[in-house]
Amino acid sequence: MTLALEARGLTKHYGKARGIEAMDLQVRSGEVFGFLGPNGAGKTTTIRLALNLIRPTRGAIQVLGLDARRDAVQIHRRVGYLPGELALYDTLTGGELLRYLANLRGGVAWPYVENLAERLGCSFTQRIATLSTGNKHKVGLIQAFMHRPELLILDEPTVGPDPLMQQVFHQLVDEAKADGRTVFLSSHNLAEVERICDRMGIIREGRLVAVERVEALKARALRHLEIHFASPVPSEAFTNLPGVRDVQMQDAVVRCAVTGSVDAVIKAAARFEVVDIVSHEPNLEEVFLAYYSGDAGHVA
Amino acid sequence: MLRNVLLKTLRDYRRSLLWWGIGLAAYTTIELLFYPSFRDFPGLEEMVRQLPKEIMALFAGDVASFFSPKGFLHDQLFFLFVPLLFIAFTAAFGGAAISGKKARGTLDLLMTHPIARWQVVLQKFGAMALATLALGGIFWIAMAAVSVAVVMEVSPWRLAQATFSVVLLALAFGSIALALGAYLLNALAPVVEALQPYHTLSPFHWYIGSDPLVQGLNLLHVASLLGLALGALALDLLAFQRRDIAV
Repeated sequence: MTLALEARGLTKHYGKARGIEAMDLQVRSGEVFGFLGPNGAGKTTTIRLALNLIRPTRGAIQVLGLDARRDAVQIHRRVGYLPGELALYDTLTGGELLRYLANLRGGVAWPYVENLAERLGCSFTQRIATLSTGNKHKVGLIQAFMHRPELLILDEPTVGPDPLMQQVFHQLVDEAKADGRTVFLSSHNLAEVERICDRMGIIREGRLVAVERVEALKARALRHLEIHFASPVPSEAFTNLPGVRDVQMQDAVVRCAVTGSVDAVIKAAARFEVVDIVSHEPNLEEVFLAYYSGDAGHVA
Repeated sequence: MLRNVLLKTLRDYRRSLLWWGIGLAAYTTIELLFYPSFRDFPGLEEMVRQLPKEIMALFAGDVASFFSPKGFLHDQLFFLFVPLLFIAFTAAFGGAAISGKKARGTLDLLMTHPIARWQVVLQKFGAMALATLALGGIFWIAMAAVSVAVVMEVSPWRLAQATFSVVLLALAFGSIALALGAYLLNALAPVVEALQPYHTLSPFHWYIGSDPLVQGLNLLHVASLLGLALGALALDLLAFQRRDIAV
């Protein structure tokens, strides 16, 4: 199994502020890997270390089997990168910017660039300064994908609310994966990562907390259920069910947290008259808490 | 103009260069148009001779040549104002090229393309050198043309050498951006005795100490300025090679 990205003991301190701490991370060739964590957890720091924009305090990171520091130029040739805080040359048009970046790469297949622009609905003739954030984002995506890189490093690629654009983005990721190329993306949106990725790493306060197959994580996913009954029900009916905890009764409403399958709760509720069921996706913090309180075997 | 970093940088500055060129040419023209009336003004020479020599040292340099064409050019253009303008140009250029607010944001994008950091620094320096040479060219043309128009006897070749000296000075400062301190060192050195030994260490001394307008370029001084520019460039290269690129 070859690795597209491998960090060993990777540490970055910014003065006294924490960056990342002793990170060991492996991203396999050909997979779509989601790097999940709240803002400020160290996702961008890790990515910038991989691209030699910053230097590690300790440890090393290899990209496509090459040393991130020593072989940076070679790595950049084979990687497409979407910065998290995208800054483009305001005075150029979208088309001019892509030409310039293509020239820095020694040329790319232009018909493919036009194809990407068409699918994303991106204008080549408008000056970057006059583009909306969403349209700048499109230019950013095109420059990352246009040379069909072996590895795509995308820092928060799905910020736009435009559903059409998200759909095209998912297609682009799928196409890259079908070509056997690797996608490494960071996000603070669990649902997004679940939808796109094969595996995910969870980072919190500069440390990699867990690496998990998305399917496995879904099986252990935490959900909050809120069941409204027609009349108050005996609380014993919901205690001691497998995977269920934090049961609260209030009038005719039962609230509980469920890990994994909700089957037992639904069957228990079915014995009474159910008015409504509301399910809340857990937020990231709860996913982390589940890891902290749960089995330590997954803690890296 | 979008083939590489050098051409792209020049492209970014084309408008700025145009306005600098227009401004500098206009200033030069106006200054030189004053020459005939200055030359023919009765009693002015006598008045200037009576100024305290410290004042003369600060603003003009040599009284003896004050009223010759070369003396006039030296005092009105080359001694103070033109080098400061050129330095302002390169300091602004050099300051904006890599660490400017705009450049910092887009550096992420640039530095994740297959181009080595030293190449980026070198190409941006190259763009600065070409732009400054172009500005020097404009300045020289304006000077040469107007000096002919006002019948001012001065060799275009000497003007070119003096201009080149300004360009070198500006490039040195473009690389180090230390303009004010070093200027004061040169201008005040004749006044403040204690600074006298350091006079010859000032880039301004290398620039104008040998008076390129009158005597042509002093190779040692040219080498010193070039050395300063290249030394600063080497520091730029080393520093940028190692530096974290801030978000």
